[in-house]
Amino acid sequence: MDFFSNTVALSRAQFALTAIFHMLWPVLTTGMSIYLIVVEGLWLKTRNPDYYRHARFWSKIYLLNFGIGVASGLPMGFQFGTNWAPLSEAVGDFLGSILGFEGSMAFMLEAAFLGIMMFGWERVNPAIHYLATILVAFGANLSTFWILTANSWFQTPSGGDMVNGKFIVDDYFQAILNPFMVNSVLHMFLATLETSLFVIGGISAWYMLNNRHPEFFAKSFKIVLAIAIFITPLQIYIGHASGDQVYRYQPTKLAAMEAQWETIPAGESANWSMLALPNNKTQKNDWELSIPKGLSYILEFKPKLSEPVLGLKEWKPEDRPPMIGLIFYCFRIMVGIGFFLAGLMLWTVMQWLGGKLSAEKITQQKWLLRIWVLAAPLGYLAIESGWIVRCVGRQPWTVYGKIRTVDAASHLPPGEVLASLSIITVLYAVLFICAMYFGSRIIRRGPDLNIPIPGHKVDKEVVLMESATHIPDSRPLETQQ
Amino acid sequence: MEALLHFLPQVWFVILGLFLFLYVLLDGFDLGVGILSLSSSDEKRRTMLMTSLGNVWDANETWLVLMAGALFGAFPLAFGTILNALYLPLMLMVVGLILRAVAFEFREHSNRKAFWNQAFGVGSFIASLFQGFTLGGLLAGIKVDAAGHFAGGMWDWLSWNSILMALTLVQGYVLIGSTYLILKTEGELQDTHFRTAKLAAWTTLIGAVLITITTPLVYENARARLFHQPQVYIFAMIPVLGVLLVWLLQQSLTNKQEVPSFVYTALIFLLTFIGLGFIAFPYIIPPTVTIYQAASSPSAMVFMITFIGFLIPIMLFYNIYNYFVFRGKVVSSEHD
Repeated sequence: MDFFSNTVALSRAQFALTAIFHMLWPVLTTGMSIYLIVVEGLWLKTRNPDYYRHARFWSKIYLLNFGIGVASGLPMGFQFGTNWAPLSEAVGDFLGSILGFEGSMAFMLEAAFLGIMMFGWERVNPAIHYLATILVAFGANLSTFWILTANSWFQTPSGGDMVNGKFIVDDYFQAILNPFMVNSVLHMFLATLETSLFVIGGISAWYMLNNRHPEFFAKSFKIVLAIAIFITPLQIYIGHASGDQVYRYQPTKLAAMEAQWETIPAGESANWSMLALPNNKTQKNDWELSIPKGLSYILEFKPKLSEPVLGLKEWKPEDRPPMIGLIFYCFRIMVGIGFFLAGLMLWTVMQWLGGKLSAEKITQQKWLLRIWVLAAPLGYLAIESGWIVRCVGRQPWTVYGKIRTVDAASHLPPGEVLASLSIITVLYAVLFICAMYFGSRIIRRGPDLNIPIPGHKVDKEVVLMESATHIPDSRPLETQQ
Repeated sequence: MEALLHFLPQVWFVILGLFLFLYVLLDGFDLGVGILSLSSSDEKRRTMLMTSLGNVWDANETWLVLMAGALFGAFPLAFGTILNALYLPLMLMVVGLILRAVAFEFREHSNRKAFWNQAFGVGSFIASLFQGFTLGGLLAGIKVDAAGHFAGGMWDWLSWNSILMALTLVQGYVLIGSTYLILKTEGELQDTHFRTAKLAAWTTLIGAVLITITTPLVYENARARLFHQPQVYIFAMIPVLGVLLVWLLQQSLTNKQEVPSFVYTALIFLLTFIGLGFIAFPYIIPPTVTIYQAASSPSAMVFMITFIGFLIPIMLFYNIYNYFVFRGKVVSSEHD
């Protein structure tokens, strides 16, 4: 079928593009919000102004990302209605409730307290400000919880059944606590945090490489490293647990992730293809590089399988995911990055223990810092790849085993979808370029190390405050242009 | 159980109305300020206009997200059908909102502030205009098949009446944007917005009168509902009260009263909303599908209301607190 005259394909492309682009921004804000709690907490505890300046500097990047995240997220919610009306009607009982919760519990909280967090330094006392920062982070991460709950339910629908083409929920708590939920929420929570840590670490490393405020950025670098010690191995463990769940609940996805065409019966050992060239036409891999017994060890930690691994050929072509190669390689990219970041953390910790990360010596660690700079975008790549595995691997289903994607799409004229898809593509391309440009501009300018501490004005500021006493509710000076 | 099946969709209709009203009121002044910034010749003034929104626009926009979420959960059929029917105006509205949002963030870091200030104004205008088209298209009615699915064409939303609605909504946003700026600014800038408010109050009134006259003429369904006894008395009250409020507003603008100007404008918005609510009720997809037909299952409605109903006062509380923290006038850098 021709792509440009196929409404379902166009609607899918539009949703995929929106989701892939939108995800880039909240990933950083949700993860960074936790870092902001840490630095503001350190400031309140130690009263070291550097931590305050860290909070101010990184929150600029936070705000830029937040704005684009809000903007690019709007079309996602609307698309459920505009492009996926039959789906909305069928699963509205559950999905609508969950999106309503996300908006009212999480997103509103984040948006409302963001104003105080960004502009309220002089207007509320430090305890209230800290509370606002915590509530912003709480709201952001609660969004992760609800969105991942909704998506997990699409993977492992539970808590009710299809009645006349509509999913009727009998038990909402069972639907929320669907089999994938806990692992998926944790996996994404850790992913946003890990990505943000390596972005903050990478940018800090860039400053130290260029010998700009090395002492200042050694602080953020070490905070990042201290958190990464716990996060990176835990993420590998949770990732493994998630893969194990796919094996049990979504055999078609597991077969696609491993490009496994033939079923491997129980009692045999399964090889793990590290690399392969899957061929959808001949239904086999044209070439592969495999590790003997690898898959048996990955799935069950023993040389022979106790349960069979079903191959793709068990299902008719219309009942299994398309684009096996994409799913296969995206999975490897995600896993590879997960291990690479954990390895980078280990190497850096060894240097730290060896005393080579002290403020004087750290700038000499050129290679270490360079690799941290290169690692900054890897978290995003891993997350996008992971979501491609998750959602392309779920095909041909939108709600796994219940609603097919072809039945979920609205019957729109293809021209209409093509028009909106083109507008969104151009708009997102422009946004991406602008965001990169302004983001790098914030970074090139660097932190303002003379920014006055709230409540501790230097002389010049006192004069300015005097002039503002006629208007007691004036904005803090640093937010003005 | 019968009573509950009747009562729950009504409660949700009111909650949706509340969310939409809060959105139109709060983001209404954000968008109005954006449109007003287009007419401002001076970059410093534009910067002040934008600063007055810096801490509130994203929370205000969230009411729209909430409204969409609640519509999705409470009336999934309506969510699908309405959004499907109004595909183009909604997508263009979203484009406008995106432009508005990113212009806000980018201008902060740009040397070319003028460009992003323009983008902010243009985005606000596009978003307002297409919100008007969406509302107009919805009130004009959506063609559906027996199952309540959209059965019309992609340009159905475009009509003389929806154009009138779109233009009037833009005027209304300019009005509330002006009265918001009266609250947040002072001196010459404030005087400007006393003037724009007076002008916008007249144009909004003209638009509202035209809509009030044409709606029953053009739409048979609305006509039947409007002139049905005893509702006709309630409907007759609305224009009378409306004219009274506009008169009070003009008085307070002439006397340069800051708070009453904003309050009367908000009341005009509220009155309009109650009027539109009465015309629409009990239809969620005018003119055929009622809230009872489009409702999700009772368990979903109860489940949602337990959480969201409980959260509404909390959300209102911290949003008010946000306004309280940033109360008072915006002072630009030229005051330093």
